[in-house]
Amino acid sequence: MTSFKLGLMAGTAALAVLGSSALAQEVTGGNTDTTQAMSSNLRAVSQARLDGADTEKTDWLQVNGGYSQKRYFPSSQINSSNVHQLKTSFIFQTAVLESMETAPLVVDGVMYITTSYNHIHAIDAVSGKEFWHYKHAMGPVTVYCCGPNNRGVAALDGKVFMATLDAKLVALDAKTGGKIWETQIADPELGYSETMAPVAVDGKILIGTNGGEYGIRGFVKAYDANSGKLAWTFHTIPERGHEGVWATHDSTGRDMHRNIAAEKKMLSKRGGDFYQTLGGGVWMSPAVDQDTDTVFFVVGNPSPDLYGDIRPGDNLYTNSMVAIDLNTGSYKWHHQYIAHDVWDLDAVSPVILTEAKDKSGKMRKVAIHGGKTGHVYVHDRATGELVRFSDAMVPQDDMWVLPTAEGTRMLPGANGGVEWSPMAVNEDLGLAYAANLHQPMTYHVEAAEYPGGDKLWLGGAFKVIPGEASWGRLSAVDINSGKIAWEADTDQPLMGGVLATAGNLVFTGEGNGSFNAYDATTGAKLWSFQAGAGVNAPAVSYMVNGKQYIAVAAGGNNQLNFKRGNNVIVFELP
Amino acid sequence: MNFKKLLVVLLCLPLTVLADAEAGREKAQICAACHGIDGNSISPQYPNLSGQTARYIYLQLKDFKRGRRNDPLMSPMAANLSKQDMNDLADWYASQTYNGQNSKKIDADLGKGKKLADAALCTMCHAGGFTGQNEIPRLAGQHYEYLIKQLKDFKVKHRTNDAGNMTAVVRTIPDEDLEDIAAYISTQQ
Repeated sequence: MTSFKLGLMAGTAALAVLGSSALAQEVTGGNTDTTQAMSSNLRAVSQARLDGADTEKTDWLQVNGGYSQKRYFPSSQINSSNVHQLKTSFIFQTAVLESMETAPLVVDGVMYITTSYNHIHAIDAVSGKEFWHYKHAMGPVTVYCCGPNNRGVAALDGKVFMATLDAKLVALDAKTGGKIWETQIADPELGYSETMAPVAVDGKILIGTNGGEYGIRGFVKAYDANSGKLAWTFHTIPERGHEGVWATHDSTGRDMHRNIAAEKKMLSKRGGDFYQTLGGGVWMSPAVDQDTDTVFFVVGNPSPDLYGDIRPGDNLYTNSMVAIDLNTGSYKWHHQYIAHDVWDLDAVSPVILTEAKDKSGKMRKVAIHGGKTGHVYVHDRATGELVRFSDAMVPQDDMWVLPTAEGTRMLPGANGGVEWSPMAVNEDLGLAYAANLHQPMTYHVEAAEYPGGDKLWLGGAFKVIPGEASWGRLSAVDINSGKIAWEADTDQPLMGGVLATAGNLVFTGEGNGSFNAYDATTGAKLWSFQAGAGVNAPAVSYMVNGKQYIAVAAGGNNQLNFKRGNNVIVFELP
Repeated sequence: MNFKKLLVVLLCLPLTVLADAEAGREKAQICAACHGIDGNSISPQYPNLSGQTARYIYLQLKDFKRGRRNDPLMSPMAANLSKQDMNDLADWYASQTYNGQNSKKIDADLGKGKKLADAALCTMCHAGGFTGQNEIPRLAGQHYEYLIKQLKDFKVKHRTNDAGNMTAVVRTIPDEDLEDIAAYISTQQ
């Protein structure tokens, strides 16, 4: 008996050693290594702290700031007069050299950084020293579009939450990185995967799903933050009625050239059961209005992306902004931007809750979205009514010409406009800031039946047009009028998102490694730093001991193949 | 006595973790004539499988077995494979290392090939450096002859087991441009 126990112990130790060498590849690790005792300053992120996150003056408690997702930090210590003096505080190098889309959280001077393939590093937000490093033990099958990205964690009551490429939700001890629970959100073999940051609210963890390129049925789910038990599911594709109202024009009044008669014929022939593979991913964190217990998000493209013949109807609620009840997950309203999309010009960039004037000049509570179409859409928060849409931020041409086998040119290209990149809002100026792409493309359709969930299902392709220049544009949009207040063009298409601060500043990065600060009022470029790899992640800001910092990930980008890196760079004034 | 015995058993356990690939090596003996025992094939018409993503190999074997992909040599080879066989083989080849000896076409316009590949957004799916991901194949280190055959097969729909994505991409690209693209990819390692 004794020898058995001894043997077991020795054997386990040997196993651990051999196991770690056998599993040395980045994506197959599983253990948490605490390299340094956690800062004693770290307190749990209570719901009360999250309630105040939108106006939080010290921490950065949610990936997009607070539940309104304005990405606005109210400190003016770093401002348009002194930003040219910004210098690096430290550079933290993660364990993974791959595309970074993470927005770090900062809680009581502790920063939580996620990487591609679902690592988390908890580090000191002033010194850059690591407290712990978590490596998710990835399941054997992953299926995902657009890179092995992760966009960050949520924090609540002493835990941090991350959703994974193999479609799991994990809850970790915020102090140690030890796993508390893990739950399977959906089946990765059917095309479900996770890259978004969850949202923690009122004891629930909200999470959407990727998979619109694989024929999933999209959803937003809520899990109990303590147990990991499923509380509710809202399906972004209703079982009945997804054919909608047979809209012939988009939200902006353009004819989408649908053949409604042919679609209706196909619907009666096929029936509506294709709701199970109709797509409708939710890529980005939802916004939450706590006054009305409403969750707002946008829903991505129908599956297959470019081949619409076999999915007749409006394909609700794809390409829509949707509002649901926080407590039950039940439907409140939706507004569809593009019915029966065959261009993959879907809705991705996260919803922002703010206020704007309606046409009569009265201030209204609104929910806004920056579209791949190049418009910022402003909705009444209570009803979904489209109050206005902005002037086009990027060139538009020949919308909505239908894709053909030989390819048709239409602008914007399939990446946008505004891709997943979160916008920021400065309410004092009434401006929304959007990171745009201009990538001229041809759209090609190819008939294809559902290939089973484990293969990409685009129903065609989109291709960049050689000889036509691609570039980026940071646009400031007056949400009270829909006019473009200013724009700043960049050499490369923009993907990563925006941070605004009370210092009259706006920050965004470029694929060539430039991380830039702009005057929030005029758009003048005030400062730039060369990060050495693509800055394709949204920046954040925070204070520690009364000093303001700016942090951003520089890891490049898979989708646009910008130079990879593994850095999070933190800046401060001298 | 007990201690030693148990230790031996436990020390062997990590090897059990690799059992799939080990079993795959045994099962790959019959594949070796064309693909090489380590997945580095000597004949450029047969694809290199070393370092290929396991998911891709598994799905292709499954497609050959189900008749969704057809090849006079491969279809009969896959016909009698079990799911376990396919996974073992996939794990074996995925665990092997590319030896740098693939057939490269260097007398083509490689610069043009790169530009065309960029425009077709190849790396959006095949990943930077053409290293592949999940069910999307690694192309780096692949033989030119195999690459160009696949591109042309997609174009004329001799190969259709990709849900039409590749057909849509290559349909409008002239054959001589496809040759430059394949040449460029064959130089990627």
